[in-house]
Amino acid sequence: MNIVSIFIQTLIGGIGIGSLYALVALGYSMIYRSMGLVNFAHGQIFMIGTYFGIIWYRGMVLGLQLPYAVAFILAILLNMVLGLILERIFRPLANYDLMLMLLGTIGLGYVLENMAVIIWGAEGFAVNNPLGNTPIMISGVAVLPWTLLLIGVSALLMLGLNVFLAKAKIGKAMRAAAADRETASAMGIPVNGTNALTFAIGAGLAAAAGMLAAPIVYVNPAMGAAVGLKGFAAFILGGAGSIPGAIVGGLVFGVLEAVSAGFISSAYTKGIAFVIMIVVLMIRPGGIIGEVTVDKV
Amino acid sequence: MKNQSSNMKRIGLGIAALVLLGFPLIASTRYQVHIVNMAGLYILMSLGINLAMGYCGQINLALGAFMAMGAYTAALLNTRMGVPIWINMPLGMILAGITGALIALPMLKVKSHYLALVTIGLAETINIIIVNETWFTEGPLGISGIKMPELFGIPIDGAERFYYLVLICVVVGYLAARQIMNHHTGRAFIAIRDSDVAARAMGINVAKYQIMANAICGVYCGVAGVLYAHMTTYISPDIFEFKTALFVLTMTMIGGMGSLAGSVVGGLALPLTLEYFRAFKSWQLVGFGLAIMLVVLFFPGGVIGIARRLEQVRGLRLPWARKPEKPAQTEASHVP
Repeated sequence: MNIVSIFIQTLIGGIGIGSLYALVALGYSMIYRSMGLVNFAHGQIFMIGTYFGIIWYRGMVLGLQLPYAVAFILAILLNMVLGLILERIFRPLANYDLMLMLLGTIGLGYVLENMAVIIWGAEGFAVNNPLGNTPIMISGVAVLPWTLLLIGVSALLMLGLNVFLAKAKIGKAMRAAAADRETASAMGIPVNGTNALTFAIGAGLAAAAGMLAAPIVYVNPAMGAAVGLKGFAAFILGGAGSIPGAIVGGLVFGVLEAVSAGFISSAYTKGIAFVIMIVVLMIRPGGIIGEVTVDKV
Repeated sequence: MKNQSSNMKRIGLGIAALVLLGFPLIASTRYQVHIVNMAGLYILMSLGINLAMGYCGQINLALGAFMAMGAYTAALLNTRMGVPIWINMPLGMILAGITGALIALPMLKVKSHYLALVTIGLAETINIIIVNETWFTEGPLGISGIKMPELFGIPIDGAERFYYLVLICVVVGYLAARQIMNHHTGRAFIAIRDSDVAARAMGINVAKYQIMANAICGVYCGVAGVLYAHMTTYISPDIFEFKTALFVLTMTMIGGMGSLAGSVVGGLALPLTLEYFRAFKSWQLVGFGLAIMLVVLFFPGGVIGIARRLEQVRGLRLPWARKPEKPAQTEASHVP
């Protein structure tokens, strides 16, 4: 194998992981844009979403063993309901200072993570890959079929989200509410309703990311913290509140990680990604794409 | 009236001093003393972050890294060269202080949640270095065999004797923090927290005080780290992870941001309460999370905030809540 195909292979792996980060970062971004809330429990919401789907796939509820695609949809729907509930709890928090948001949502993170430990146990498990673990060769580059599916589904979800926000009536209302809360509510847009929907969509995207990640990671209650931190990094790196920013940030972070693991030092993967991120933020304090200003109450 | 209240204060202080000095004698097990010692270290860290964040408004989530600097300085010097705690302490303070000052540098440019991420990133990077440079730090295995200190031939071994060392450090740390806040440095911190633009307009060198606040925070955490290394005689990198910073932040928040007494209240209350509920395992942490959410949603000023509010509403005069310092973020009015 020559260096080029190794590089391409690393790149595909990075894009795969990066699209997961992007889906998580989109959740951060949507919630931040509409409510001005930086949700540090988003990693745990991602973890709960994963469990919400995997329990159906592994027959942990009533012994039902549903196909992966059905479990995927159930995960998104259940997590959206969770998102609706959480939005109601955190509505007052959006007006508070960053420090209080940080602590309040971290408190929620503790609750979610430990509830997961109580309900599903602390040990966790590996989920068998529905598409198998044998890589396929495409002109000398070995790729897991699941990675390709993951990239495809994530791309579809991101595209769908963008079309929804740009074209659908509710999507437009959500953007209006995010852009100017007071004017939007004067125009008859139920701002609290659009916020709730935004939160639910963010949670749904996190569940989708979780279900896409489940076959290639080890599912356990602590998985949320690591992914949440990286999703947050992607969200900040792209520019807080920007939808394209979250996607770019996620992909950049994923590729950075993969390339530094493959070519520099696997032990320092996370460190290198963080250092580059800090350098980027020093040069562009508003993120790569730039922050979308948030109009708060 | 004035005399009476100052007499009351004196009696209160006397009782407090007696309880503090006699605690190891009252405690029924050595483990209880150990938990209180840990609470003492948390109070020190909480005082540090309160100065940087509660008073100067600098978001800093790298507390674990500062503590690690102190702890690893002490552990390496002690195990490799047999340096005693009395020399490790100033060295650890200096190194942790320098780390704090270095972490403050991005703050001059990056703000708010971007800054939160930068400090998390720097702390994680330091942790990754500790885990990976095994030739120097023993990596994830940690360093064991750190000696407990000795003073004039009297060994300070066991939690009961170490308690007094921690107590001295906490009292000195608290008094020093109060001194800083009474000094013009402290007033500059508050000015920067309330509005860095206004502070700059008044001729305050904002960058200098930002760096100073974080260096001080580093020093406090460094002291806690040195004490920790010599107290437990074993350190490993997982103690200095992000979750330690979160824990300290939470206790500071529960006690009251922007109140030194809040640091003491929170630093004692949280570890002791959690210890009390340890038997409940995961439910303990669920309760912890719910408690944080309740405090944030309903009592953003923390315990000290509640005390101050009681004072305003009922005209109660609670001795620990008398200073009219306002907590960092109280009501919903504070919109960044």
